[in-house]
Amino acid sequence: MASNAIDQTRRMLSLVTYLRDRPGARIDDVARAFGITADELISDLDVLPMCGTSFRGGDLLEIDTDGERIWWRNADALGSDTAQPLRLASDEATALLVAARAVATLPGLRESDRDALRRATAKLEEAAGENAGASSRLSVTFESEGGVFADVDRAIAERRRLWLRYYSPARDELTEREVDPIRLFAVGHTYLEAWCRLSEARRTFRLDRVAEIKLLDEPADPPPMELRDLSEGLVQPAADDPEVVVEVGPGGRWVAEYYPYDSAEELPDGGLRVTLRTPDPASLRRLGLRLGRDGRIVEPRELADSAREAARLALAAYGE
Amino acid sequence: MAIAKAERLMNLALCLLGTRRPLTKRELRNSIEAYLEAGGDESFNRMFERDKDDLRELGLVIDTVENLDGDVGYRAQHDNNRLPPVALDAEEAAALGLAARVWQQARLAGAASGALQKLHAAGGMPQHHEDGESSEPAIPHSTLEPHIPAREAAFEPLMLACRDRRPVDFDYRKSNAARPERRQVEPWTLECWRGHWYLAGFDMGRQAERVFRLSRITGAVRSRAAAFTVPVPDQVTVREAVERWAGESASRTARIRLRTGSGYPLRARATQVRELADGWEELEIPYGHGLDAWLVEFGPDVIVLEPAELRAEVVDRLRAVAKG
Repeated sequence: MASNAIDQTRRMLSLVTYLRDRPGARIDDVARAFGITADELISDLDVLPMCGTSFRGGDLLEIDTDGERIWWRNADALGSDTAQPLRLASDEATALLVAARAVATLPGLRESDRDALRRATAKLEEAAGENAGASSRLSVTFESEGGVFADVDRAIAERRRLWLRYYSPARDELTEREVDPIRLFAVGHTYLEAWCRLSEARRTFRLDRVAEIKLLDEPADPPPMELRDLSEGLVQPAADDPEVVVEVGPGGRWVAEYYPYDSAEELPDGGLRVTLRTPDPASLRRLGLRLGRDGRIVEPRELADSAREAARLALAAYGE
Repeated sequence: MAIAKAERLMNLALCLLGTRRPLTKRELRNSIEAYLEAGGDESFNRMFERDKDDLRELGLVIDTVENLDGDVGYRAQHDNNRLPPVALDAEEAAALGLAARVWQQARLAGAASGALQKLHAAGGMPQHHEDGESSEPAIPHSTLEPHIPAREAAFEPLMLACRDRRPVDFDYRKSNAARPERRQVEPWTLECWRGHWYLAGFDMGRQAERVFRLSRITGAVRSRAAAFTVPVPDQVTVREAVERWAGESASRTARIRLRTGSGYPLRARATQVRELADGWEELEIPYGHGLDAWLVEFGPDVIVLEPAELRAEVVDRLRAVAKG
């Protein structure tokens, strides 16, 4: 995580409190408790000796380290009250409370976790006092399929293979496959990332599209691979994926909200010309159909034609 | 070399926490090296005001006291700044550890880690042992990694405006509007649903409660230092409004024909399925906002039977696509 001056100040204030009560604390233990690397901790320890209640009077923090342990030599001189534990700021309480409440309501979560989250939330609300108030102005709902979630959770914990009947909206079909689960994550919806033995590739499955799931006895054996950085977005098209160009009117601007795109050019009528990439352009036929009056696929031509053809076929059933 | 901001803030915090009597601005300036190097009065004053604001953001309560000579003094009283006793067991600590990793938004991610650090510093979290072994909780945890995205540029200014109850204005483009329009809003709450953020508040121009989708806010959000003019309701219902747009709250029923083997999500939400001859099924499905657009996605695999209004909407959409 990027460390800015605010976060560093916050951390150093807590460090002072922590060190007051734990003379000779080990660098590794402190770094772990603070969720930072040893290097980050050491750069904080470089700053702290320049801090105090006056740079002239000589009452600076005498905090030093031998590379393994940390001592604060003049904790008494500065007054132990100065290093008292500090109350939670409004944003701090909000960040933890909102996240804890969101996770606690996720269907399928283990009850022991749900209970722990609720107990922690209650204690935190009490500790934060009036600074917990603003946390009610922010809320997050995660969507999940409870039964599927519990099976996936168990498969990951027990390192077991899963059998899925999965709905692919791109092809409007159900397929059966065995997968070796890698991780279970929630970003609005809840997803399983797994090694798919059918396509021999890493695949992401949205839990509400799992029509049926079975926990198999075989152990999961996904090939070793690096976890993706999810903050980059769920769908990360490859550079050599084919390009699709869509032109939409004002009513079709939502396309830019739902599909990751390379460029979105404003059009004079208030619409957009969106260029995006996808490994499987045929999967966007349904987008072409959905847009109706609000837009059309420009490229590739075959995709535009297939949407038109599907619409003509459908109209025939209505006697047109 | 300029003295790093974190060092300056730390010094100010320690001075304010360490004093029993309020310190004047002049005293603080003489005690903190970075302020002496700040240059003229004006640049020092600006820096000092910003620093106080930053420390307040970190939760420090700084009292402003006027003394007999008319000078203003500052201090951070211990009683107002002390964390009340809090003790979490290993399960609760692990649960909060999970919650702290949820934010993908820098400000809240920093705040979440900061909160955990305060709890650790206060001794409120289970201790790690000297041999480096952590105290593993007895019960294994869910393997879930929850993430809350907040990529919308409007998120942070709106979060602060909701927190501080400050009116805002911004340009907003409704889903089918060609141009954005200026909106003046008293912001109440932000809610994330299906990975998208929404704002609920009182729209001054329309004199009514409105829900805004953050991704449709264009340009900067500006907040004004003014009080709300309309009371904030106890219950704000972002989710209901959004679900209605998403067609989740259907009150009517539609009857369709679906080609066997296709349209699984339609079948999954059908209230009735009847098998027909020649590879078709007849379904009854909930009919809410947006169903027409969804049904068209299935192309020739869906035929709408009733109601006539839905059938006409679908045919209309299909005609538009067929024309290209």
